[in-house]
Amino acid sequence: MIEENHIVSAFDRDLAELNDMVARLGARAGEQFAAALSALETQNASQIETIVAADSELDELEQQINERAIEIIAMRSPKATDLRCIVAALKVSSVLERIGDYAKNIAKRSRVIIGEDEASDTGLFVNVGALVQKMMQDVMTAYANNDAELAIQVWNSDQNVDAIHTQINQELLQDMREQSELTTVIAHFLFIAKNIERVGDHATSIAEQVHFLVHGTMPDDERPKADDASSAGAA
Amino acid sequence: MTDELHPTVKIKASGVTVDYGEARALHGIDLDMNENEVTALIGPSGCGKSTFLRCINRMNDVIDGCRINGRIAIDDEDIYANTIDVVELRARVGMVFQKPNPFPKSIYDNVAYGPRIHGQAQNRGELDAIVETSLQRAGIWDEVKDRLQAPGTSLSGGQQQRLCIARAIAVQPDIVLMDEPCSALDPIATAVIEELMEELRRDYTIVIVTHSMQQAARISQRTAYFHLGKLVEHGLTQTIFTNPGNEQTEAYISGRIG
Repeated sequence: MIEENHIVSAFDRDLAELNDMVARLGARAGEQFAAALSALETQNASQIETIVAADSELDELEQQINERAIEIIAMRSPKATDLRCIVAALKVSSVLERIGDYAKNIAKRSRVIIGEDEASDTGLFVNVGALVQKMMQDVMTAYANNDAELAIQVWNSDQNVDAIHTQINQELLQDMREQSELTTVIAHFLFIAKNIERVGDHATSIAEQVHFLVHGTMPDDERPKADDASSAGAA
Repeated sequence: MTDELHPTVKIKASGVTVDYGEARALHGIDLDMNENEVTALIGPSGCGKSTFLRCINRMNDVIDGCRINGRIAIDDEDIYANTIDVVELRARVGMVFQKPNPFPKSIYDNVAYGPRIHGQAQNRGELDAIVETSLQRAGIWDEVKDRLQAPGTSLSGGQQQRLCIARAIAVQPDIVLMDEPCSALDPIATAVIEELMEELRRDYTIVIVTHSMQQAARISQRTAYFHLGKLVEHGLTQTIFTNPGNEQTEAYISGRIG
């Protein structure tokens, strides 16, 4: 990674501003996800409404990042690391906006299942949620510091998330078979688990962008997968 | 047979050094330039890129106190060998300069000049055909066909530069060297020349010196970055501009102090 400043110092300011915007979106997406996990536990209706209402902020911020990035491309003709930095900002911001959507979806489903928490053991949700939150924090740190090594650690840690997701899935399917009257509620829990797992996947895709930003290539090896949820059937 | 994946080396420079008196301008340049490709030479002023370009048709021979060592081969033939006729070499290796420099002659005579002195036309009909083909290949025929006897200098800057390209290719060179051919042209004339270069590379090998990073990125297949008389990096243009291997190259192409 090149550390020197541009001769045209406004270019440095443009890139710093863009990176700040992405960091802000990352922080907001992280907050929304944390709030959604908390609302899942507390079932606090007003917290849920706050999460749902705040999602449009993330959409707006993503749109602003798109516009700024396009302006910089048009005005500065970025090359090499600068170009990769802007492409990464575009892709990462789109992923962060999606993470916001998952947080909103978790909140909306939590609204439906208020008072129905006996339908599932939320302990595993807390575990997997904490893992994914850590991935989010680490990957945004990696992005801010151009730290490809930390990004790769995040990339590899997704297999732990996949493993817990598979376990949650199996347990919920078992519950569904045993308590058919709770099918609707359990279906919501299945989707919530999937949303959390998808946030983990998105953190790994940000990790890939950090690797691309630093090295100009995507990570080499196929990411270790431990998610067998999609092949879980009736036992 | 040459293609994008299996290029044929047209010009091979090995250990080329150039000294102007006591000052060394080039420090052992090794660079292969492929047939039917545009190779862009980039680098800050004084980096040696134009000096290197001028070695390829021995333009530096005429500079007092200039000494060239190492080897430059075109089609595996050493162009600095005693057996080489420099006049013939310069017909094989045409050159287009920074400022359009048509002769103070008619449009027709500018293009016909080279074929005449090299005896490439047996009669007026053949000469007419060479002039027409050259002007067509240079993308200017339609603009000048009705006024071939008008002075070359009466054309616009962009047209004059295309006339100079027509003049360079009239003697059927293998290679066209271009030394900042668009730096005196407006963006439209520049775009016309760039479009032309893409056409011309089907028939010729082109080596261009340019100060415009955007131009190098737009027109060349390979880019060579020179700094302080050394070749720092040479590679596929898309790689150089997206993920260069060398920090000096990156600092230069991304407009940093390097």
